[in-house]
Amino acid sequence: MTKKIVALFIAMCLMLGIASAFAEKLTVTAWDANFNGNALQAAADDYKANVDPDFELEINIVSGSSDVENDITNAGSSGDYSLLSDIVLFQDRYIKNFVENYPDAWVSLEGADINWDDITAVKQSYSTIDGVHYGAPVDNGTAIMAYRVDLLEQAGYTIEDMKGITWEKFLEVGKAVYEKTGKALLSMDGSGNDLPYMMLQAEGVSLWKDGKPFIVGNEKLRRVVELLIEMEKEHVLILSNDWTGYTNETIMQDQVAGVLNGNWIIPTMTQVADNAGKWQITTMPTLDGGEGYATNGGSSLYITGNCKNVDLAKKFLAYTFGGSKETYDNALRTGGVVTCCISAGQSDVYSEGVPFFNNQPVYKDITEMGAKIIPVEESPFHYVLRGYLGVAMQQIKDGADIDAALEEAQTATEFYMEGMGY
Amino acid sequence: MKKKKGFGLLAKQKAAGWGFLAPASILIFVMSFYPMVRAFITSLQTGPAAKLKWAEPLFKNYTRMVNDKVFLTSMGNTFLYLLIQVPIMLVLAILLAQLLNNKDLKFRGLFRTLIFLPCATALVSYSLIFKTLFATEGLVNSFLKGIGIISENINWLGQSGTAKAVIIIALLWRWTGYNMVFFLAGLQNIEYSVYEAANIDGASGWKTFWHITVPLLRPVIVMTGIMSINGTLQLFDESVNLTNGGPANSTITMSHYIYNNALGQGVANFGYASALSFIVFILVAILAFINLKVGDTRD
Repeated sequence: MTKKIVALFIAMCLMLGIASAFAEKLTVTAWDANFNGNALQAAADDYKANVDPDFELEINIVSGSSDVENDITNAGSSGDYSLLSDIVLFQDRYIKNFVENYPDAWVSLEGADINWDDITAVKQSYSTIDGVHYGAPVDNGTAIMAYRVDLLEQAGYTIEDMKGITWEKFLEVGKAVYEKTGKALLSMDGSGNDLPYMMLQAEGVSLWKDGKPFIVGNEKLRRVVELLIEMEKEHVLILSNDWTGYTNETIMQDQVAGVLNGNWIIPTMTQVADNAGKWQITTMPTLDGGEGYATNGGSSLYITGNCKNVDLAKKFLAYTFGGSKETYDNALRTGGVVTCCISAGQSDVYSEGVPFFNNQPVYKDITEMGAKIIPVEESPFHYVLRGYLGVAMQQIKDGADIDAALEEAQTATEFYMEGMGY
Repeated sequence: MKKKKGFGLLAKQKAAGWGFLAPASILIFVMSFYPMVRAFITSLQTGPAAKLKWAEPLFKNYTRMVNDKVFLTSMGNTFLYLLIQVPIMLVLAILLAQLLNNKDLKFRGLFRTLIFLPCATALVSYSLIFKTLFATEGLVNSFLKGIGIISENINWLGQSGTAKAVIIIALLWRWTGYNMVFFLAGLQNIEYSVYEAANIDGASGWKTFWHITVPLLRPVIVMTGIMSINGTLQLFDESVNLTNGGPANSTITMSHYIYNNALGQGVANFGYASALSFIVFILVAILAFINLKVGDTRD
């Protein structure tokens, strides 16, 4: 009896296995169901409706980007790639290093029918390794500088006043806002502080130079660090202890009158429904005045070395995230995912006014801003440097000498890289 | 099969003994000793996991630690926790055990359970609860503000001094009850007649405690000491979940730093991480050895 059941079970497994091998099916692993999950669902529906009715996409949602990174690390260390999905979502900043170190874990997008000229330069700069395209873009990390117009007004300013200002002026406005409303004009996660990176990018300056950390001797960085410390002292900037503190306390508990981050922060802002209609976005300030453009975060889809049907994966990615208006329109509607495909960004959905932002067509503005970002030198050790820079800022705040602290950050980052053979 | 005469009773018993030992021994070898050997080999290698190569010079991963400021910081932090938390915890545990061993105490069972209960919570969950309690807008601040001790909310986890203190408080809460149970068991083994004799000789309660209880509990003290030292040197969950090592790495522990080198910061550096773990291993061995020597009653 038991034997029969086992035999039946094995037969069923085999049949299912064979059936699934014939079906047009792909698996994908990603994080953030509401954002990336919805974008992938939009793409799957699009491909199923317009290309192949038998197509099936199995979306595995994991709890964070590090889960995927650890999957690749484990597969790469053991040399066994058989547990990877056909496609994985991967953080833009890490991909270069992972492709270099685990080359067998990936399949390039060469031969996929994607018009690369239609994708923003800055997005491609992450996922192109030695001239070969690996990633299909999903979201667009273009930074937005959002202000609470009602609170600015109480302090005697308008959103127009904030356009193209210097950070000095921003500090001045911030002091007025804090005095009148008790709210800070900006907040960030102090342990993973993205402000120096974004503020420098708006200047066209990187934290890296020729593959080495560029902290010591980086005059603009020194100015930025000094500014941020001054801002925190004056209650213009809240640096929270961690990421949850940043999103759940400073933004969702309504402690700030301004937000600067990649536009994926919008779903966090919209959690405070009471503030609908009071926000508007514009470009970010710069050190010497003029409108600033920056990007932060973002991820792309990559085919893994375990993909059973590479042709299908390439076709699927090229058709959908390669520039399908239907995919991107629905990804925006359901997930708030903003494209970095220039043509898809010209869709009507993008021009619609968004009620939360006082009917400003923010998504159109974001895609336009995205096209103006100047790519700067990136490094797979970005987050290591960011961590040490955060340590330095904490030390400076506690009274350490600014140059000594920055030098320590430089040495610590170099030490880490040296251990990795760089 | 014919019975072989040469298989005596003793040999049979021996074989049975080996038979019983084998499963556990094999498991320990495969799951514990083999990885240790592999980790040592890895600690002599460098580069990404997919293309590890021998380090040049061979002990480079070990020598570069001396210049690793973050590792030295993490070591300092871990030893600070060790020096402050372990003595307080053990003394508290002995005192509590002594109190709860009192035969006349009502609801003894209830108190024992309550004090042991923190041990039943998972490390991650209790860390997260402490994080919530000590948040800037958390319960501890509202309470202290309510009774007028502080006037403005304290950012407990945002300043290095208070963040370290919170970790120590959390550790005390979590582990005191656990150690108390061992002392309670130790106290049960002390004959009541010894106390009676002391009583007749006119020894005070404090004297009895110092001259009878503590010496007789010595083996238990040594054991809990070794376990606590070992546990503290491998402290991980609290550092990761409560403070994430911050602010400015002021609460990061050695294990947390090892983890950061292996996973969680991009491409893994398994060679260096393994070398760091071996240093922790050696430290645990040395401290346990000292502890055993100090606790040895045979002069």
